[in-house]
Amino acid sequence: MAAIRDKWMVQWQFQKDWHPASEEEPGVMWWFGKRKRPQSSGLSRTDRSLELPGIGMVRLQVQIDCLGAVCPRPQLLTMRALDHMQEGEILELLVDNPGSSEAIPAMCMTLGSTHLTTVRDDQGWRIYVRKGEPGTG
Amino acid sequence: MSEQSNAITMDGPESLWYGHKGNLYAMLILGVVAIGSVWALSLDTRWIYLLVYVWFGVGYGVLLQYGRFCMASAVRDLFAVGVPRMAVGMLIAVVLFSLTAAIVKVMGVNTFHPHPIGWHVIIGGAIFGFGIVFTGGCASGSLYKSGEGNLGALLVVLSISFSQAIYVTLGGWFDRLVPASWTESAATKGMPEELTVTEGWFDQFTAGYIWDLKGTTLAESLEFEGEVAGAFVGNAFLGAILPSLVLLVYLYMFAYRKGYLRRYKIEMPKLGDHLRGIWSMVSSSRNTAIAGLGLGLLAGLHMWATGALRDHYQIFNFGELLADMGHTAGLSLQDTVFDPGYWYITTQEAQWGAWVMEKAGMMSRDNIFFGLENGIPNPIINAPGWMSIGIIFGAAVIALSRREFKWKVPNLETAMFALIGGALMGLGARLAMGCNIGAFFATVTNGDLSGWVFLAGMTLGGYLGVKGFSRWMEWRAGKDEFDI
Repeated sequence: MAAIRDKWMVQWQFQKDWHPASEEEPGVMWWFGKRKRPQSSGLSRTDRSLELPGIGMVRLQVQIDCLGAVCPRPQLLTMRALDHMQEGEILELLVDNPGSSEAIPAMCMTLGSTHLTTVRDDQGWRIYVRKGEPGTG
Repeated sequence: MSEQSNAITMDGPESLWYGHKGNLYAMLILGVVAIGSVWALSLDTRWIYLLVYVWFGVGYGVLLQYGRFCMASAVRDLFAVGVPRMAVGMLIAVVLFSLTAAIVKVMGVNTFHPHPIGWHVIIGGAIFGFGIVFTGGCASGSLYKSGEGNLGALLVVLSISFSQAIYVTLGGWFDRLVPASWTESAATKGMPEELTVTEGWFDQFTAGYIWDLKGTTLAESLEFEGEVAGAFVGNAFLGAILPSLVLLVYLYMFAYRKGYLRRYKIEMPKLGDHLRGIWSMVSSSRNTAIAGLGLGLLAGLHMWATGALRDHYQIFNFGELLADMGHTAGLSLQDTVFDPGYWYITTQEAQWGAWVMEKAGMMSRDNIFFGLENGIPNPIINAPGWMSIGIIFGAAVIALSRREFKWKVPNLETAMFALIGGALMGLGARLAMGCNIGAFFATVTNGDLSGWVFLAGMTLGGYLGVKGFSRWMEWRAGKDEFDI
């Protein structure tokens, strides 16, 4: 039981680390958080560079945190982000639901976007998607 | 520019297989199931009947997790994101299972019984389809996701279990919702008095409505002469393969073609381009397609194995074996228990809920569902129940070995959706007499067209569910940086 409890604790800590908004405003991920605090969807703007394996240096404009979430939330948030992004902008989606890790690349063609790569680590999958067809970015 | 979803692993150099803890846990689970099986057989070889359910459950679980096979997303993703990937995988499974079911039918050991067609199928399917959008998975999906360590999915399973047990025993005020004609018809069925079939809405629904409908297969209604022609041409080809091919072409035309032609810059498509497009759609998700093929094969083998064992023991139902072995406490009035003989999910989960409620003194057997038909066996000897547990085990084994197992605790929002969505799935499954497996997958593949009616209902419910869920998401995301 101790091992399971420790794993849960790691998971909670992990969620906290990946929910910057909820760290600043504890409780906003819950329904009955204080009213004046904004709801957080896990979508946020960013502006940072990173090296993607097999792709090289890219600049990231949007990140979506879907840790702990199941379908269809990652799909809907990705669509929402792409709707508001410029051609060529890149988003990073963080998921730990195995089903979502394959659903997102599969939807890129329909959305006219490009799946750049998926990086897997101990936390889950980081999926990189660029708005626009391949070769247009 | 990869369209494939193969991920680049960043967790260090590969070590030997036994050097990874996940593989050891996976072996441990398989070892426990194997040792448990040997132990059960050493007590009485007749437990082989139950073990067939266990091991096919493990097989289903492995394939479901391997292919991320989720029938919920088959309808949901079409409306949510316009992606036919899972619907294609599901149709591949339907085509293959229809062929294996036909072979089993010709061999004379097919365990399938057709379901009656009526409004209940489409209404139940719609409620079920609405619920699965909020839970994030269908009934089998929730089981295999539980095996991935997703405790929210386990909550869905619990909600399906208890909600069904409650629905089928509700009486009192709910009896007022029942048409008088159902009550009158139920009263004429000559049921034992202890069942009180004119009390309780589900009893009256079953005896006064369902029993007055007739279920049939295509081979029977088209009066095919000869078992082989009926099974292969009537049931498999006309009932499952042809509709699946039509749906595949429809999916290509309305969900895949536009993106495919744009991606490959084809401006004046010819027939060959479309055929290549259809092949691209079918092969775009290799794992899902492989899982579809495997599930179709396994589902047919399962029917054969159970049918052969029934022949061997000269029984129609597992309840007879249980009675012979002295386990009579959980049997129905007819000495039966739920024993479909093929892949099925929801009824055994209702039995789990009912068993717990019975132990707590909150459940009576004065109803048709438990009292007359399915019984309330102890979960330890509930054969189809072990199939569901087998799915969890199988999914856990492959998730652990692929390093995808992770304990996930739901937040309050996910937990509420799991409970409410699960309760809707339970209601839909009881009205339609099965979930997307029992009422769709197992039916359409055996020439029973009621399954396509269920799919139509599930699609409608899925569409409405996606609309509702999207609104909820919009409201939740309203304050982020993407506010319009």
